[in-house]
Amino acid sequence: MLADKYADRIEEIFAKYPDKRSGIMDLLYLAQEEYGWLSEDALREVAALCDVDPTQAQSIAGFYTMFSEKPKGKYWLQVCTDLPCALRGADQFYRELCEYLGVEDGGTTGDGLFTVEQVMCLAACDRAPMLQCNFHYYENLDMETIKALIEQWRARALEEVPEPGE
Amino acid sequence: MADIVTITIDGQDFQVPAGTNLVDAAKMLGTDIPVFCYHPKMEPVGMCRMCLVELGSISVNRETGEPDLDENGEPVVRWFPKLQTACTQKTYEGMVIRTTTEKVVAGRDDILEFILTSHPLDCPVCDKGGECPLQNLTMAYGPGQSRFVFTDKLNLDKHVPLGELIYLDRERCIQCARCVRFCDELVGDDVLAFHERGRRLQIVTISDPPFDTKFSGNTTDICPVGALTTTDFRFGARPWELDEVPTICPYCPVGCNLSASTRLDRDTGGKKIIKRIMPRQNEEVNEIWICDKGRFGHHHSRSTERILHPMIRKGDELVTVDWATAYAEVAARLKKYGDRTGFVAGPALSNEDLWELRKLTRLVGEQRQRGLWPATMSGIEAIAQAGAGVGTRVQDMGPGGAILVIASDFEEEAPIWWLQVKQAADRGVKVVVANARGTKLDKYAAATMPYAYGDAVAVMNGLAARARSRKKIARSLVESRVDGMDALIDSLKGVKVPHPEAADLLLDADDLLIFAGGEGLTLAQHGELMQAAANLLILTAHVGRPNNGLVAVWPGANVQGAMDMGFSAETTAALLDDPPPMWFIAEADPAGEDVRAAEVIANAECVVVTSLFMTETAQQADIILPGQSFAERDGTFTNGMRRVQRFYTAQGPIGDSLPDWKIFAHIGRQMGGDQPRISTGLVMREITEKVFRYADMGYPNLARVEKQFPDVGGDDLYYGGTAYTNTGGLGVQWKTNAEHEQHRLTVRPVNVDSFAADGLQLIPVRVLYDRGMWFRVSDVMDQRVPAPYVELNEADAAGLGIADGEQIAVVLGERTVEVRARVNGKTPAGYALLPMRLSDAPTLTVPAAGVVQKIEE
Ligand code: SF4
Ligand code: SF4
Ligand code: FES
Ligand code: FES
Repeated sequence: MLADKYADRIEEIFAKYPDKRSGIMDLLYLAQEEYGWLSEDALREVAALCDVDPTQAQSIAGFYTMFSEKPKGKYWLQVCTDLPCALRGADQFYRELCEYLGVEDGGTTGDGLFTVEQVMCLAACDRAPMLQCNFHYYENLDMETIKALIEQWRARALEEVPEPGE
Repeated sequence: MADIVTITIDGQDFQVPAGTNLVDAAKMLGTDIPVFCYHPKMEPVGMCRMCLVELGSISVNRETGEPDLDENGEPVVRWFPKLQTACTQKTYEGMVIRTTTEKVVAGRDDILEFILTSHPLDCPVCDKGGECPLQNLTMAYGPGQSRFVFTDKLNLDKHVPLGELIYLDRERCIQCARCVRFCDELVGDDVLAFHERGRRLQIVTISDPPFDTKFSGNTTDICPVGALTTTDFRFGARPWELDEVPTICPYCPVGCNLSASTRLDRDTGGKKIIKRIMPRQNEEVNEIWICDKGRFGHHHSRSTERILHPMIRKGDELVTVDWATAYAEVAARLKKYGDRTGFVAGPALSNEDLWELRKLTRLVGEQRQRGLWPATMSGIEAIAQAGAGVGTRVQDMGPGGAILVIASDFEEEAPIWWLQVKQAADRGVKVVVANARGTKLDKYAAATMPYAYGDAVAVMNGLAARARSRKKIARSLVESRVDGMDALIDSLKGVKVPHPEAADLLLDADDLLIFAGGEGLTLAQHGELMQAAANLLILTAHVGRPNNGLVAVWPGANVQGAMDMGFSAETTAALLDDPPPMWFIAEADPAGEDVRAAEVIANAECVVVTSLFMTETAQQADIILPGQSFAERDGTFTNGMRRVQRFYTAQGPIGDSLPDWKIFAHIGRQMGGDQPRISTGLVMREITEKVFRYADMGYPNLARVEKQFPDVGGDDLYYGGTAYTNTGGLGVQWKTNAEHEQHRLTVRPVNVDSFAADGLQLIPVRVLYDRGMWFRVSDVMDQRVPAPYVELNEADAAGLGIADGEQIAVVLGERTVEVRARVNGKTPAGYALLPMRLSDAPTLTVPAAGVVQKIEE
């Protein structure tokens, strides 16, 4: 349970706002960090903490694309394929990435490690192709670099090294 | 009053109050601006863009303040370059709009085409088809043909249950957010929300239980498409086959106006039945809303469990007889027992039934023991003096007003009043809640006045004492026409004021309305509470005008009428204390609801009942007469604000059943009474002659309607939703003594003794969704009716070794009932809250000392 495990962080979050309800975004992030995605149970848990109806938590999770209501791989690769990036070859890059990982658009690898997804502009157009992995940017990519990164991540995951962001 | 400004609509000038919503203003002036998301009962959001108009302002010279004129001497209008949404505009001086120009027509056309890009072609199978705003507006303003490719339509789920009562069709939803805003803004149950965005925007709920609000059905009325439908009605009939019959809800004292949609139906062998219940607009009562109990609780009108024929007990058996035999037999018994007969009227008999029953009691003897069930509340004298002023409308109250709700779990007891008071609180009305435990209204209250069970009268008396010490006494009223002042003032000296600050919110308001329930009060205490409220209102002159006065949250739809016709709870209490050998019980189930009554009735020599069902009471009866539900006959109910309202016959009778008034009149005839009247209208005429407060209640008067705002129904479905226009009458309120100049008013000191509590006190509480004799057969609602339970404080439960959720025993005299323990920190220590009418076995209707214990193995 988040309340037990992160009592201090939750208290810090609530301290920032006039009422509990306002802390919901921070808590949804916390829950996503903890569980990897926002299941209905996770939404209920957060809603109870913030004293709102679970429906409100679901609505917020559904509105923002950085919340995921489906299970995701340990590494969540979001590739920008918007027009400026596409002009620098991002769509081609994305296709090859999918091929390399052996997944469909939006799919997750069989070992549960990688999920790929196309997203809209991430404001790094001049450094395309780019992607964000668990909300960290990797820019000026080509297949060479990304393959190296993927293997690095795979190795790390196997050794249970903490993922980027922690 | 708002300033009056001049606006121009399509070249014509109008005078309107400044700041009126433009769509509303246009509507009132006869110009339709089509809308989808806007609803006159809610704040505008400008989401759908259907209401586009050309908007401009008359150009004014800054120096002179005069309008600029063009070469023809006409005022110059500065137009917005683009079309504007009318629903987000408020009227101001010099506003000019055009609603019929080519530009506007093209704008609407485009919006409709856009909305229809993802709308399925469901009209032929859609429940809303025939009364659908989208259908109507498409016919009126739509492009006729779409440029979009049919196969590009988004296909979404079609049968998504939002709980067991309401279904969502995701494809049909046009994302207007009316349903979301209704729940969120108006009701405050934020259990519906949008999920995702853009084209994928969808309505969701994951509350527990899903779509958890008592008002969910209303969303299906205001949804401008067929996206939301009720389990009760979906695929049940087409709107154009339905015959609308005006009726009144038989459940609570609000007296919501309903429309019964009826049809000749295959399921009943071609007989007319109610297919659904819809709200019928009465801005004086329920506006355009009803609760889910009223909407879905109509199934008793055609239940297969109904009693079909008169029956007489012969030994252990009930033998079916014809009416003539039954009348003769009842008359014979009444002659035999004479004055030793106790009459008990149920909470939803019509005034006509009650009048005929009253006449029957006069034929039986001198005693005329006219009781009322349930025997939980009294205080008709307080209402007669200080009842809410004629024309009271909570929806009109503003920041200068105050509302006190005392001793009531308001949402459970009178849902639509709760909704109106909650909205009043949102508008700045000072809402003060006084109760011995927390209720849902507290969240919206400006202040609460918590007290211990038993102290309600003291709290109310404290308010009067505060009025005295703060010199809030209205001298002119008091000196001209109030009796008993000196004694009252004397009694108020030195009285403690429990919550002075909350008290001052009430005492400083221009308008003061009090809703008094009966929770946690004995019958005698309730009478005192009502008098204490009347004292306060009279002392401070909050009587005799709209939005001021006292409203009792009576335990039934026509308890007010029963009291007006001379039935009282005190009589019932006296009858139970000193039971007569014969009981005549009309449409009530005392034996099923109260252990004491069950005991007494079991020991009676002779019991006659009129009933729809084989209730506990009916099972004890020697003669059973099948009465009729509100659907099968006509009559009037008087609501908790003393408004007498007509309901009309919606369907044919079940079996040999007869309306109660006829049954009573026929029995009376056997006893030497008049020839039975041939219609309820004639019964009412007699009432108007004999009961002075009902002098104006002739049927033609009650049936009077007038134009109400917002317009609903008819061609205006899109505007207010599919609630029905009122064709059955707005009803008439009877005037209180305060409103009759020649009447004097009486105040008196009240008795503030609380009950001597020894050990655990059991407090019966009302829940909306119960297993009452009529509501229980509406099985669509089964999942909302809780299993029998008792609420206990943690400390008490710990002392008894009882855990939350445990099945335990409540000992009520000789009997025990098994219920589930709900243990929490909110229930006041020393009290156990026991909902009425949830168990199949009788429980309590008035507070009593009691024992709660673990079930022995
Ligand atoms: S379900 Fe109906 S009321 Fe709710 S948003 Fe959709 S169209 Fe509007
Ligand atoms: S609020 Fe009362 S009168 Fe209105 S529908 Fe509900 S139960 Fe019936
Ligand atoms: S378009 Fe890809 S980051 Fe801006
Ligand atoms: S935008 Fe005005 S009615 Fe929807």
